[in-house]
Amino acid sequence: MTTLAGSRRLRLAALLTPVTLLLGSCFLVPLGIMALYSFLTPGLYGGVEWNFYPYNYGRVLGAPLGDVEDFDPVYIEILLRSLRLAGTVVVLTLAVCYPAAFWVSRFHGERKSFVLFLVTLPFFASLIIRVYAWMLILRPTGFLNLVLESAGVIDAPLQIIFTEVSVVAGLVYILLPFMFLPIYASVEKLDPALVQASEDLGATPWQTFRRVVLPLTLPGVIGGSLIVFIPAFGNFVVPALLGGAKVMLVGNIIEQQFLAARNWPFGAALAMLILGTVLVLMLIYVLRIGRGGVAAGAKA
Amino acid sequence: MSDQTHANLLEIGAAVRTFRTPEGGIVAALDEVGLAVRANEFLTLLGPSGCGKTTLLRAIAGFEDLDRGDIRLDGVSLAGVPAYRRPFNTVFQSYALFPHLNVADNVGYGLDVKQLARHERDARVAAALTLVGLEGYGRRKPKQLSGGQQQRVALARALVNRPRLLLLDEPLSALDRNLRQAMQIELKNLQHEVGISFLVVTHDQEEALVMSDRIAVMNGGRIQQVGTPGEVYDTPANRFVAGFIGVSNVYAGTIDRRDGSLCIVRTDGGIELWARSAAFAAGARVDFMIRPEQIRVDVARTAAQAPGLEATVERLVFVGADLQVHARLADGSPVQALVRHRRTPVEGLAPGSAVRLEYDPEVVHLMAAQP
Repeated sequence: MTTLAGSRRLRLAALLTPVTLLLGSCFLVPLGIMALYSFLTPGLYGGVEWNFYPYNYGRVLGAPLGDVEDFDPVYIEILLRSLRLAGTVVVLTLAVCYPAAFWVSRFHGERKSFVLFLVTLPFFASLIIRVYAWMLILRPTGFLNLVLESAGVIDAPLQIIFTEVSVVAGLVYILLPFMFLPIYASVEKLDPALVQASEDLGATPWQTFRRVVLPLTLPGVIGGSLIVFIPAFGNFVVPALLGGAKVMLVGNIIEQQFLAARNWPFGAALAMLILGTVLVLMLIYVLRIGRGGVAAGAKA
Repeated sequence: MSDQTHANLLEIGAAVRTFRTPEGGIVAALDEVGLAVRANEFLTLLGPSGCGKTTLLRAIAGFEDLDRGDIRLDGVSLAGVPAYRRPFNTVFQSYALFPHLNVADNVGYGLDVKQLARHERDARVAAALTLVGLEGYGRRKPKQLSGGQQQRVALARALVNRPRLLLLDEPLSALDRNLRQAMQIELKNLQHEVGISFLVVTHDQEEALVMSDRIAVMNGGRIQQVGTPGEVYDTPANRFVAGFIGVSNVYAGTIDRRDGSLCIVRTDGGIELWARSAAFAAGARVDFMIRPEQIRVDVARTAAQAPGLEATVERLVFVGADLQVHARLADGSPVQALVRHRRTPVEGLAPGSAVRLEYDPEVVHLMAAQP
């Protein structure tokens, strides 16, 4: 008995060692360094001085250090804008993927595999190239304006690129598969007999959706929302290329602080603020929406 | 129930439903099906898988459209009425209990969507759970129940809505044998108690015989026979029904001559058989049927008054209460007889032994041969 339990423990340890090492060295340690740096004094020419310095956070939150640094509300504005855009991206991807998942789940065999292959197809091309393609579509002399002008819908090219619209469009495009796959997984698991049972018991199609379909697919919706919201919030490639200097998101500021301004402690502080915001929001989201749904989904 | 035309709750008229097979062919799941469900009866749709019985049930529930024909409730067509507006409820083969709701909320589902007052809803849910013997289980989740209990929840969930007709799709197929037999009786009692017509789909002929007021035997998308369990067992309409319900010995032959009400049938193998029937004239093609339990095995081969057949025993199968005697007639056609089991072996009854099989022409059933 003891040898059996012992060998099981050994096997478990062997299985968990790689993931522990990987996450520990590539995730926890850098995160710790970031957290530490965010409380250090920025060096004059980059790097850090090893003094405790809370004003990296003070700059953003409204408690700067006298005349050395100013409180600038722009950082909070950017943070709020990032939240708003990420929320919009979640809503839009959800609106596209939820019905699409039901549609795809009705397919069978090779057709279904083919559609799922199409969903993952964008991953085969570089993210940068795909975002550049959107620049070609959205710019004033681009494909979209060309079509609209020749169709007579507009007289002058629309300024779409370098607006929030183009940033949201780009993020939605990039993140669609991440919303689709978890939702599809939960829709696929939904037993069609349950929908029929609901109808059979007198529920209208809307009641069936509210009382059976939505609660049972909610785990997928929550999962998809989380995996879309987090990268949408921190993304810097899409806003850099499609938003230009006009639509800065937190990701761009952080990138600037690390690469251009060489103010690592301030960049680290911003990154920690994002992390904290995301964690708090996720917690609220999961607790409020997920309370019934996740429990049901885990059982389903 | 004497005035049947007015006692009919549901009438199905010339229902046709075809499906396209993956190979491109067309299969008629329902082929001109006509059937009436009477008020307060236990009617079973019995047939092998693929006979169309489930399609018919789904068409009644409103999950399947008919190509032609109609379904009438109290004489009013249900064409175009969606499932959620039909006053029927279904017990699904998989039970289809909502995994995210507890037992009470599953049972109360139909009442909740109709927004029944809370106290009445709770009272009816409690009564339904008591009816199926599950009082006190309201807070459990379906996953925490055994198969038999889940089945009772499914029953309660349907009955709580007081449907005009309860549809049950293979309701007992997921249960083990002992529980299934207990539930057969229980379902029948329940139907009697609630006074709602039950329409049950099953492929299990024993189940159908035990539970039903009437049985509709289906095959190949057609109703083969509708009758009481006694009728379909004793006087099957054709060779299919005879073979599907119980064990039967069926021999194709021709009426050789008549002697009063006695028909002498010559089988295609040249054997002479006797039957009491007024339905057929000399020269008619018939299927001669006799059940194994109607055949007496005479080991001593004493020439008796009763008509008899010479046969050779091939094998004996012990099934508990009975001993099945598998034998062959002179022309090589198989015959099966039953001998009540006694603990002392029957002398002379062994594989290879010659026996005389006696039967009473009164209990023989003649069926018109099918083209």
